[in-house]
Amino acid sequence: MPDPNQGPEAFQALRDLVVGPERRRLDHLEQEFDAAGLTPDAIAEHLPEAIALRAGQDHHLARALGPTVESAISESVRRNPRQIATAIFPVLGPAIRKAIAEAMSGLVRSINTAIEHSFSVRGLRWRWESLRTGIPYAQIVIKHALLYRVEQVFLIHAETGLLLCHAAPPDLKVADADLISGMLTAIQDFVSDSFATAESGGKLRTFSVGELTVMVEPGPQAVLAAVVRGQAPDTLLPRLQDALENLHYQLAGPFAAFDGDAAPFEAARPALEACLETVLSTDRREPRTGPGPWLVWAVPIALIILIGGGLSARSSRRWNAAVARLRAEPGLVVVSAERSGGRLLFSGLRDPLAADPRAVLAPMGVDTTTVDGQFSPFLSLEPEMITARARRVLKAPETVTFSLRGDTLVARGTAPVAWNPSTGGTPAGVERVDWSGVEPVLPPEAARLKTEIERSRVLFEVGSASLVGTETQLRQVAAGFERLVAAAGGRPGSVRLDLIGRTDPTGTDATNQALSRLWGEAVGNRLSRLGIPAGVITAIGVGIVQPLAEPNAADRARVNRSVSFVVRLVRAE
Amino acid sequence: MIQKKICMVGVFGAGKTCLVQQYVHSLFSTKYHSTVGVKIDRKTVALDGTDLTLLLWDLAGRDDAADISVSYLRGGHGIIYVVDGTRRETFDQIFELQTIVTNAIGVVPSVLALNKVDLTESWALKPADDAAMAKEPWQVIRTSAKTGEGVEASFAWLAKATVTGAAQ
Repeated sequence: MPDPNQGPEAFQALRDLVVGPERRRLDHLEQEFDAAGLTPDAIAEHLPEAIALRAGQDHHLARALGPTVESAISESVRRNPRQIATAIFPVLGPAIRKAIAEAMSGLVRSINTAIEHSFSVRGLRWRWESLRTGIPYAQIVIKHALLYRVEQVFLIHAETGLLLCHAAPPDLKVADADLISGMLTAIQDFVSDSFATAESGGKLRTFSVGELTVMVEPGPQAVLAAVVRGQAPDTLLPRLQDALENLHYQLAGPFAAFDGDAAPFEAARPALEACLETVLSTDRREPRTGPGPWLVWAVPIALIILIGGGLSARSSRRWNAAVARLRAEPGLVVVSAERSGGRLLFSGLRDPLAADPRAVLAPMGVDTTTVDGQFSPFLSLEPEMITARARRVLKAPETVTFSLRGDTLVARGTAPVAWNPSTGGTPAGVERVDWSGVEPVLPPEAARLKTEIERSRVLFEVGSASLVGTETQLRQVAAGFERLVAAAGGRPGSVRLDLIGRTDPTGTDATNQALSRLWGEAVGNRLSRLGIPAGVITAIGVGIVQPLAEPNAADRARVNRSVSFVVRLVRAE
Repeated sequence: MIQKKICMVGVFGAGKTCLVQQYVHSLFSTKYHSTVGVKIDRKTVALDGTDLTLLLWDLAGRDDAADISVSYLRGGHGIIYVVDGTRRETFDQIFELQTIVTNAIGVVPSVLALNKVDLTESWALKPADDAAMAKEPWQVIRTSAKTGEGVEASFAWLAKATVTGAAQ
């Protein structure tokens, strides 16, 4: 033990003795850390390989990055939707085509099933069953044609058996899901206590009750239980496992903090609802018994041929005309058109601004209640659609008309000066808009003020730029202009005031030109001090060019020694 | 909706199921006691203006306290111990049960329900027993399945205690 009287050296020695080895280890670690090169530069160099490596091992990286990537995309769409729209355009077309093809084949299948079940012996038997039991025919068909249906999904807290979230289709009313959840947990415990050995640590996984199978997927924090009616496929269990794993990952926080409050687990509902599904065996065929359905078919078919022969030709012409009319309609792309069971089935693409196919067919004498349309939305680049869309996007008044010249949208007509189309951006399908044909106009009150202001003239004495005696007049002009701008309601700077200075013909042209400009500027300065923004005022000196007409020569000279006003509207672009 | 798991324990014949059956929502029959060994009921308690759901795990009573199924206690937020006040042995065994429960899940808010308090003539507990009860971390409430005395009070006390986290 060093003597405390020996001073700092002794303490240093003591420190070396006590913490020396740790100190040396720390130094060593620090050097290693530096040598490992964990600097931003070094990380940047290895980042791509690191990401590729981890992505090859498992899905954690994708799950971790998922929310960030999603919010980045949302933000990008919010800021500039056009860019994303352009980027995904090549995949949209095929996707839409595929969706339509699938929807159509599903429709054909279900129509086949409906027809088969309507007229077959089996179908009649089911109808009889529906009449007898009072259960709707559709439910009877589902009952008999059902392969399987995931009816309920429970997310249950593993330790307490408390229900965290429960999903069931809207048509299935389930009371007491919380009690069922508790009892299911109790039965699991019961089975484990009774039959599982300590080594296996097994859990009750799947059990069947009559038509129902309950699939139970245990996880460390929660149990996912699915109630399946019918024959559950092998693919269902892996899907449940996957859903449960994702929920553990997604809800790690709420699981750790759980103390009876199930509210945070509402977030699990979409994942649970994704597990609900109904699969029908629409193309499963049973061996036929008794007389074949051909007999049931033969009679109506013969009747149709006999009675409907004449009608059919007419109806066929009308049908062809209807299809042609729809195909010609701007913004509609008819991919398929079929007549089936007295109904007209159309499918294809429809621009949201295109006419309703039923409204198009109604004037042709088509019974629109028999028309079924399946149209996916798309953006049409037909001129009619581009101009209609432009009108909508730009909120254009009826007085403006649009036409297309190449990639340029040409606008013509008159528009209130208040209209500001630039807030709508460039409409889809055009590169630029030509606004030169649009004449801005004022509302009546503003137009009246314009006339009033333009009638006003500020007169000057010979050779003088004095504004003495014009104060009242200028105040009236300034006030009138302010009211005019307010009544026009346009963008700032859309209404301008031009001051035209003129002189009498005495003196040289150069002097007159300079004098008229001087007068204009004097009036302009005064008006800007009276509150008109200097930016909207333009003073112009025209000298003796464009003199004001006045029959009397003396008056003509007096009237032309003046500054007059022109209210000018600036076109919106 | 806040939910809490409450376990109700007591030796065979202490009158647990009778005590609560008027006051809870039952889906399952008492047959579950003799088969699975537990029956789960629901009791909704209004607490400071919000509803709290108690999932009541009514554990089957056994003659021997040590036979209790410990798995069913897991995650319990509160315990109701039920004693038949007219049968001395049910009281003596409750301490053994309490030890088993505490070993399994630790100390959680608990109520000791002294049941059948309406049968004053055959009451088997003595004033001296109060001291033994007072030593343990539970709320002692006298109850009667017949008159309903103390039943709602037990639920209300337990609901509040499980939310505030008070053990006693």
